[in-house]
Amino acid sequence: MKPLAAFITSVVAAGTALGAAAALAAVLRHQEATHSHELPPYVPPADMASVPHDVLVENGKKLYFENCAHCHGDDAHGDEGPDLHGIWVSDRRISTVIKRGIPDEMPTFATKLHDDDIAGLIAYVRSLD
Amino acid sequence: MDTNFWVNVHGGTTHFPIAMIFVACLCDTAALCFWHKPAAVSLRTAGKYSAIIAALGSIPAVISGLVMTRGDMLGQDPALRLHHLFAWPAFTLMIAAAVWRGLTREQVSRRGYAGYVGVICVLTGLIAATGYWGGELLKAFP
Repeated sequence: MKPLAAFITSVVAAGTALGAAAALAAVLRHQEATHSHELPPYVPPADMASVPHDVLVENGKKLYFENCAHCHGDDAHGDEGPDLHGIWVSDRRISTVIKRGIPDEMPTFATKLHDDDIAGLIAYVRSLD
Repeated sequence: MDTNFWVNVHGGTTHFPIAMIFVACLCDTAALCFWHKPAAVSLRTAGKYSAIIAALGSIPAVISGLVMTRGDMLGQDPALRLHHLFAWPAFTLMIAAAVWRGLTREQVSRRGYAGYVGVICVLTGLIAATGYWGGELLKAFP
């Protein structure tokens, strides 16, 4: 095959490969959204069950501005830390990151924030979607 | 899906295409430098098959990475985002380079071959950057 024809074929092949990867990603995201994780789902503290969702979000917002806004920005669109709007990770993952932090990236809040605080923060972050 | 399993599969599958593309870059650059020497034919052949094998090897690496991130093609974490920003152009370029190289056989002029070698060198840089930020991810998510 001549180099020009081979070039056109290679562009088509590369586009097909990238398209196939994007299609696989879409299938996996859909599967992730509709199937349970391998870990048991996040269960908020029992005493938070009676707290109205609006109150939970309001508490979370207060805690967010005290603890998180410094890095994630007042509007949670990210500053030093990442944008928190529409994050795809599970509640369990959010809870784990808040508690353990990320080495060299984010401090741990395990001693500062309790489970009911984290439940509020999760509710607030979810309300940003 | 066990995420830890796919993390290991991704680690196991990525290093093969990384190594092969470095070999392809080395062989093709040497073939260009020694264009008129008898060894150049062997070097071009080695570079060609290394690039094709690297492209084939990148497919399981991409699939395992996508399964690992549950279909997230970019990610929120800065290191993951950078990893992907280098990985996707590298993957696309790797497929394109391998297909072009496989189809043209020995019909390319020295100038055309030099252009291809330039692309392979850029690709090697992209792969190296992808690997670097992949390594940084191990620190972010130990």
